[in-house]
Amino acid sequence: MQVRARSQKKLRVFALSVSLICWAVSSQAVTVARVWSHQGQEAENRAVLEIAKAFNAAHRDCGWAVELTFFPDFQYTEKLAVAAAARDLPDAFDLDGPLVARFVGAGLLAEMGGVFSRDELADFLPTIVAQGTIDGRLYALGSFDSALVLYYDREMFSRAGVEAPVDARGWTWAEFVAACEKLKTAGIEPVSLHMNESADEWFTYAFSPVVWSGGGELIDVEAARVRGVLASEQNVRSLQTWQELFVHGFAATDPVEPDPFGQGKTAMDWSGHWMARSHLAAKGKKLGAMPLPVIEKPAAACGSWCWAVSARTEKRQVAEAWLRWVTDSKTGVAPMVRANGAVPSRKSAFAEFPEYAEVPYRVFKTQSETARPRPRTAFYATLTRSFAAALRDISRGADVAARLKKAEEEVQRVIERKEGEGRRAKGHGAGDGASVVPTAVEGGL
Amino acid sequence: MTAWQRSFSRRSVWFLMPALVLLGVFVVWPLVRAAWWSFHDVDLLAPERAGFVGGGNYSDLLSDPRFRRAFFNTALFAVLIVPLQTAAALGLALLINRKERAWRWLRVVFFLPVVVSLPVLAVVWSLLYRPVQGDEMGLVNAALTWIGIEGRAWLRDPQTALPALAVMSIWQGVGLQMMVFLAGLQGVSREQLEAAAIDGAGAWQRLRHVVLPALRNTRVFVVTVTTILSFRLFVQPYLMTRGGPDDRTLSLVQYIYEETFLNLDLGRASAGAVLFLVWVGMLTWLQRVFFKEEKS
Repeated sequence: MQVRARSQKKLRVFALSVSLICWAVSSQAVTVARVWSHQGQEAENRAVLEIAKAFNAAHRDCGWAVELTFFPDFQYTEKLAVAAAARDLPDAFDLDGPLVARFVGAGLLAEMGGVFSRDELADFLPTIVAQGTIDGRLYALGSFDSALVLYYDREMFSRAGVEAPVDARGWTWAEFVAACEKLKTAGIEPVSLHMNESADEWFTYAFSPVVWSGGGELIDVEAARVRGVLASEQNVRSLQTWQELFVHGFAATDPVEPDPFGQGKTAMDWSGHWMARSHLAAKGKKLGAMPLPVIEKPAAACGSWCWAVSARTEKRQVAEAWLRWVTDSKTGVAPMVRANGAVPSRKSAFAEFPEYAEVPYRVFKTQSETARPRPRTAFYATLTRSFAAALRDISRGADVAARLKKAEEEVQRVIERKEGEGRRAKGHGAGDGASVVPTAVEGGL
Repeated sequence: MTAWQRSFSRRSVWFLMPALVLLGVFVVWPLVRAAWWSFHDVDLLAPERAGFVGGGNYSDLLSDPRFRRAFFNTALFAVLIVPLQTAAALGLALLINRKERAWRWLRVVFFLPVVVSLPVLAVVWSLLYRPVQGDEMGLVNAALTWIGIEGRAWLRDPQTALPALAVMSIWQGVGLQMMVFLAGLQGVSREQLEAAAIDGAGAWQRLRHVVLPALRNTRVFVVTVTTILSFRLFVQPYLMTRGGPDDRTLSLVQYIYEETFLNLDLGRASAGAVLFLVWVGMLTWLQRVFFKEEKS
């Protein structure tokens, strides 16, 4: 008994001293901002962790620090939504570019107009600024951008007698189809379109350029309307053209492997910057890359994860400092891009990456001139789900016009309901306010 | 009531407390919240802006062709699953209800798919169902081609996608019901069976007149549970078809999930969940009414 009483006393003393130490540490007033990040590739996670460590070391004197938490990428968006519902969003977090509009609509993101100077903003790729700009105000910026290109195997091309286009210029759709024809005749499977990708986002990301290139749009953002836009005549025509690839057996509707091109099974790969390193490793000098084939005008995809500050944060200074840090050429962009091989979001950071003078990176840079972010609308999540489902069905032979019309009605229904509720709740329509579209991007088209 | 009984019932409240508190916090309260939300326009990202909309969410859901489609699909799935899976489970249970040791391992074999995680099975079956592409095809189509039937794109064809998922689900879930029947079979009286055999009843007659009546309560339980489970369909279509092709495998749960996390419309999602609960509750109640359990 006595022994136990004594040990309990010891325990109590120990507990007391621990809490004293904690109190002493906390009274030194280190302001710790909570930061959430999605868990990407291993190298990417390590890079974010290093960037955070460097941030904490550099801000020790002013008593600022960030506490970084990773969440699996596959349910990260849900995690953010639940945290928002519970009013438990961290001070700063990253989110996928197309979601920014919805978060801004719910009043969750702090505006960042004053955080960056005009010169600094001019150093960012216009696509990245556009992605984070809603109704003319800036809410989010990323440290990297994405790129979507057509990789090809020079050796397979020469075996089939296909000539790759001269650099920086993409094929017309007819040239692309002719090349597919030749490859197929030579017994080579022409192109991978990754139709087995489980994420809806791949479909919208990868094939919106087909719609844009044919002169169409997915949604009229300003009027918040898809009716007559998504299933427009141009779009039906463009996607019929796209469907031909499957009808003629140029691309597999149900591939099994994640990377048939890298395995040497297809001659072309409709894919993104994230495959550049493994393709280079697999093919070396044989690897070529060109912009996506053009139906009427060149179009490319861009957009990626970006960082934002919570509108409710009480540690705004720290959160903003983190945002500056993680999007700074030296402290954020360079380490991140070194890790994930993406396109640097700042022009000044390109100097750190000599590979941008070579294939395929050179194409990433040139294609970004015709790239545009996915539609910045609060209805993006609905749009992307319906569009992706339609693309899946179209690839498997569904009637293009009817299937697009169905997707259009689905999305329009959601929009009208929301607008109706918005009017009932607030007495005016949602999505008001003239949208000031960053001219740099739309002007480039 | 004796004094002891009275004090016991007073004290029993305390013993019930932990269970009541847990049920209250984790079951009753969320249900009440969901019911409350279902009458409001709630943005998941900003629930504090919720506004009362009366039965708006309900009337909206009931007139939404996609919701109707989801309901129809799920009901069709249940109609496919419940009789087939119950019959198959009973068949398997009868087959392996033997004393010899050698038959025991079959129980394990049939039960195995229940234990393996559903996402893994979804991937395996997606490969099995692979359509013909050049000289490559899934095992199902290969087997069919071998016996002279032309292969199909099972999961891609609007006509066959849901039945294909039902087959996979029966294969996956039948082991559980089989075990329940197996347990029920142990309760069938040996004397009655032997007496029936002596009276000249064949295997089929013994099954109809002795075994099935004795399994009545087990059957009611199996049918009820299978119905509830089949209405909770989500993982198989979500992973194997994403609700496609043309929404033919869209399930109620996937619809509710998408309302919550894609459209971020908590009000409508809650209304969907309440409708779902009411519907499944009603089905269960009807089953209880029609197939009354025999009180022993």
